[in-house]
Amino acid sequence: MQKSHNLKYIAFIIPALVYVSALSIFPAALSVYRSFLTPGGSYTFSNYSALLHYGLEKALIDTLLVSIGALILQLFLALFIAMIMVKPFKGNRIFSSLVIIPYGISTVVSAFIFSMIFSAVGGYANSFIVDLGFRPIDWVATSSSSLSVVVIADYWKNTPLVALILFSGLSGLSPSMYEAAKADGAGAFRRFFSITLPNLAPIMAIALLIRGVSEFNIFALPLVIIGYNPPLITTLIYEFYQTSSTTIYYSYAASTILLFIIMGYASIVLWKGGAKTYER
Amino acid sequence: MNVSSSWKSNLPLYIGAVILSIIFFYPLYVLILITFVPAPLNNLSPYPPQFPPGFTFYNIIQAYSALNLTGPVVRSFYVAMMVGGLSLALGIPAAYGLNRIGVRMANKFIIFFFLINMMPGIVVAIPISVEFLKLGLSNIYGVALAQELVVLPLSIFIILGGFRALPKDLENQARVDGANLPTTMYRILIPMNRSAILVAFLISWMTSWDEFTYAVIISPVRSTFPVQLYNYVTRAVSFEASAFALTFTIPVIIVAVVLQKYLKSQSFTGGLSS
Repeated sequence: MQKSHNLKYIAFIIPALVYVSALSIFPAALSVYRSFLTPGGSYTFSNYSALLHYGLEKALIDTLLVSIGALILQLFLALFIAMIMVKPFKGNRIFSSLVIIPYGISTVVSAFIFSMIFSAVGGYANSFIVDLGFRPIDWVATSSSSLSVVVIADYWKNTPLVALILFSGLSGLSPSMYEAAKADGAGAFRRFFSITLPNLAPIMAIALLIRGVSEFNIFALPLVIIGYNPPLITTLIYEFYQTSSTTIYYSYAASTILLFIIMGYASIVLWKGGAKTYER
Repeated sequence: MNVSSSWKSNLPLYIGAVILSIIFFYPLYVLILITFVPAPLNNLSPYPPQFPPGFTFYNIIQAYSALNLTGPVVRSFYVAMMVGGLSLALGIPAAYGLNRIGVRMANKFIIFFFLINMMPGIVVAIPISVEFLKLGLSNIYGVALAQELVVLPLSIFIILGGFRALPKDLENQARVDGANLPTTMYRILIPMNRSAILVAFLISWMTSWDEFTYAVIISPVRSTFPVQLYNYVTRAVSFEASAFALTFTIPVIIVAVVLQKYLKSQSFTGGLSS
């Protein structure tokens, strides 16, 4: 009785399930399958070996550097912001609204802003550096400085989201815990490391999961700010896709690699930290 | 909460808040500078000044008269409306079903939806674009269909949170009184859940307005506003582009700030609470 009852309601979910599967699982499977094909249609591994020739390793390492850099910067600053947001002080609302704004700004617009700040000639970062009496920096000259610009732009755009997630976690902690710790003589640092951090860990895992995955998929920001120089894994895929109907098979191969990295990352985070929270 | 939080004891807090505010506001300030300062005093000088040396509307006027951006904005608007509409058309039934099948099973479906959501956009977009080309969908309709993928899980989650907050007997009572399921949906369940539905629609709308990856891959020509802006930026007509970007950023900022008020009290977590 209960079973058949459930089946009737599952019918309401089916359209959404079919839609999502048709537009994500099916294309992803297609991508994996085609990564082993030549344009003529025979099976091959040559797409993968060609990728090594076109600098897949460097693109992967650069993507990893950007992801880790952005994640650390975001988590650290978002924690700071969230801790200010939960404090009741005059001007709290203004501060919260101001810090949320970048999240509402289109990715392409924010990429454009940062390309104006960090352009070698006529950039605002350089005019600030020159005002201070230092020599201007050519931001796009080396791959490490280009990647730093992407990290900074990404942190500006996405820290608000992480801050909101951490804020919801912080406001769930009961004040009595802190009062008890205070009464027992725990200082501010002790309270932070023994109460705030451990209690925030599950929600930090969620933030890490959500942001880590999107960090690895970062596409619009590097494309607008630094183009293909140096390429990240996503811009490399896009370049192959655009070049010709032959190189699109390289982009299938690179896509497959990206897909497996993301799946690996997601399962590690879910397994290590997020599983408990997700099951709740 | 803390009554004794006087100005002095909060000093480090204020210093932190002010520094962070400056860091977060500065890029926006730069956008305003580029838009309203005459270009020769600004980006065309090697080291543009941090404070406005002059003021002009020329850049904005130039942007509206010289660049063909109204078309892309209208298309973006249509796409965002379609994505928001699809979110409701697929999301309301799905959320209704999930609300009825029991929490444990529903959570399994939700986890599935969110795992699907983690699929890298570019990995999915390229095969979709190849298939859509065959189907004649390499246009804004195809973009809307693909963007829906990004917003649907969150929409279902938010609407489900709203349904779970309604009293359980509501639907049964309506059915006992003789209303059939469609009537119950239209007359009772949807109106009573309208704030969650509105939030789901607005979030879908804003996500679509911002979305770039699917748009540029599926429909690189005659596409949405972000794609057109990208084309102008790479062709280095930046003052006009920035003037345009600013005028279309202001409404989005307002929507975001309004939405943030809703979100705090709204059922973002309601979908998981049992």
